Amino acid sequence: MRMLTRNIIRFIVVVLVQVLVLDNIMLHGYLVPYFYLLFLLLMPFETPRWIQLLAGFLLGLSVDLFENTPGMHTAATVLVAYLRPYLLNLLAPRDGYEPETYPRIHYYGFSWFLKYTLALVVIHHFALFYLEVFQLRDFFSTLLRVFLSSILSTATIVLSQFFVFRE
Amino acid sequence: MRTLLRFIQKYFNLLLFLILEAIAIFLIVRGSYYQQSRFVQMNRQITGFIYDRVDGTREYLSLKKVNRQLALENMQLRNRVEQLSGSLDTARVLRVHKEPYWYYYVPAKIVHNSVYKQYNYITIDKGKKDGVFRDMGVISDQGLVGIVLESSGNFSTVIPVINRDFRLSVKIKSNNYAGILFWEGDSPLYAGLSEIPFHVELTVGDTIVTSGYSAIFPDGIEVGQIASFSLESGNFYDIRVKLFTEYQSLFHINVIRNYRQDEQINLEQNARR
Repeated sequence: MRMLTRNIIRFIVVVLVQVLVLDNIMLHGYLVPYFYLLFLLLMPFETPRWIQLLAGFLLGLSVDLFENTPGMHTAATVLVAYLRPYLLNLLAPRDGYEPETYPRIHYYGFSWFLKYTLALVVIHHFALFYLEVFQLRDFFSTLLRVFLSSILSTATIVLSQFFVFRE
Repeated sequence: MRTLLRFIQKYFNLLLFLILEAIAIFLIVRGSYYQQSRFVQMNRQITGFIYDRVDGTREYLSLKKVNRQLALENMQLRNRVEQLSGSLDTARVLRVHKEPYWYYYVPAKIVHNSVYKQYNYITIDKGKKDGVFRDMGVISDQGLVGIVLESSGNFSTVIPVINRDFRLSVKIKSNNYAGILFWEGDSPLYAGLSEIPFHVELTVGDTIVTSGYSAIFPDGIEVGQIASFSLESGNFYDIRVKLFTEYQSLFHINVIRNYRQDEQINLEQNARR
C-alpha cells in the first residue's frame, strides 16, 4: 500500500517536473532532457507486467496531453514498459535480484544503473524521435538528435539519483 | 473455448502491449483531427489553467525585459500616430462598412510554448470569449508568429511558423513575388521559402512580408530576411529565411481579427464553383 502511494506521488512529480521545468530547457534549440522516464525505471522488480504496461501508457499519455503531441510519447513509453523486464533479465547479477530491493544505484551500483538507464533511454528516444518525424528522409539528423538527447536524458536521470530521489 | 482462454492467458501481456501501442499509433495517425476532438478541448482548459498559474512566475521574472519591449513599441506607435494624423486632416474617410475597422487586434499572452519539436504549438490565454477563433492570424511586435488552430472558451492553440504543418503565402517586399513559407524542422530560427521562380533577382537580406492573399493576415507584416538561396532544383529557388520572431523568448502577442475574412472566403468559393 505504501509502495502504491509512493509510486503515484512519484508519477505526479516526474510529470510535473517534466512539463513545467524541463520542457523549458532547450539546448541548441531542440535538445530536451526527457526525465519523466525515471518513473518507469524505478518501478519495483516484481510489479505485474500488465500494471507496468498500463503505467507506461498513462505516463506517456499525460506527457502527450501537456505537450500537445498526439500519442508519440505514449507509443514510446509503452514500448519501454514492455521491454523493461527483458532488459532487467539481461542485466541481472549472477544470483538474480534480491527480494526487498529496487532497481536503484543504492542497491546495484553506479555502472549497473547507468547501463540500465542508458539502454531504456535510447530505446525510448529512438521510438519518440522517429515517430515525431514520421519519415526516413532526415534519417541521420534524427539519429544525431536521438544520441545527443539520450546522453542528456541519461545524465539528468542518473544525477537526480544523487540529489532528489535518494530514498 | 478453453484453448482460446489459455492462449489469452499465455499471451496476455503481449496482447495488452499490442493494444496499447495500437491506441497510441491511432492517435498519431489521426494527428490533426485529434487536435480538434472534444477530449482535447477539455484537456486544453485544464493544462491551460496549470500553465497559466506557473507562468505567473515567469511573467514576473521577465518584467524588466517586457517593459523595455513595450516602451519601444509604444514609441514606434506614437511616431506612427504623428505621421498619420497629419494625413488624416487632409483626407475625409468615408465609412461604407458596418464595422469600423478592417482589422482588429486582440492582445494575448503565451501560456505554453515549444520550439524544439517537429510539430510545435503555442497555447495563448485568449479564446472564444475574447473573440479568438480558428484561422485568425497571430503576430508579435517582432513580426509574424502563426495562425490560430483551435480555440476553447479561454484558451487557444496556435500553429506557429516552426511547425511542419505550417504553410502561408508570403512575398518578397522589394518586388512583390509571392511564394510559400514553410518550416524544414531543423532550427527554430530559420524557415524555408519555395515557389519563387528562377528569373527573380534575389539578394541576401531581402525582407519577406505576408502577401495578404490568404485573408488571414493583412499584407506587409514582416516575416524575416533571406539568409541564403540556391537554385538546385531547376525552376524554383531553395530559399532559407531568417525569421524575425524569436520563438524562444516570445511572450506577448496579438491575434488579428479580420472583419472581412468571411466575405473574402465566400466570394472566392463562389467564384470557384
